[in-house]
Amino acid sequence: MRAFSAYGFADVAIRDRFDCFRGTSKERTARRYGVHGVNLSARKA
Amino acid sequence: MPLACPTNLDVQQLRAEISSLYARVLDQPDGQYHFHRGPAYAVEFLGYEPGELARLPDEVTRVFAGIGNPLKMGRINAGETVVDIGCGAGTDLLLAAYQIGPAGRAIGVDMTPSMLDFARAAAKRSNLHQVELRPGDATSLPVETASADIVLSNGVLNLVPEKDKALQEMRRVLKPGGRVQIADITLDIELSEDAHADIDLWTG
Repeated sequence: MRAFSAYGFADVAIRDRFDCFRGTSKERTARRYGVHGVNLSARKA
Repeated sequence: MPLACPTNLDVQQLRAEISSLYARVLDQPDGQYHFHRGPAYAVEFLGYEPGELARLPDEVTRVFAGIGNPLKMGRINAGETVVDIGCGAGTDLLLAAYQIGPAGRAIGVDMTPSMLDFARAAAKRSNLHQVELRPGDATSLPVETASADIVLSNGVLNLVPEKDKALQEMRRVLKPGGRVQIADITLDIELSEDAHADIDLWTG
């Protein structure tokens, strides 16, 4: 989110989170690194 | 804020492996992959509307491999111009094309030629003449400056080492006040330098 703000975007927000690796072969790796999907919205400032 | 990965990662090799991986998904959608695919996943995990997905050709949604739902964050207005970065087989692109209608423009950009051909054919079969497919990648978008109302992407930015260039390009193509609606992955912990340079971790 900081990156988007630094590159000229406003109203940056994470809107949703998804456990998209649940049930895949990479589920354990995803849990280890805290990986999950997100929806992010922003607006060109 | 530096965003380019500070590694000796071979970016060209990474791009080639990503392109090869997703081309294989097209050829072998039921193969073994480290990510989910298909319409049931899109509905159950990501909240896509079954009725909207049902409007798309089955072969498009069958290879859907997004990690979020950019269109869930707000509908796109009729007549708007949408750019989908890394559009893949076209699920989000075609859904957006239905929302903007024939007066809008839905521009899909992808670096994998077979994906472009696939999405182009699907748009044609769906009579979505407002869809254009263009070869390119997130760091050099083949899109006019300040021409887009909204930029979409789904699971792409995490695969781009030069995130600074990708964000600059998103900003460049958007009109003033234009919106970004992207889905991507985040990590709760900071990766080591070795992990940053490990292509297997990038591509799965």
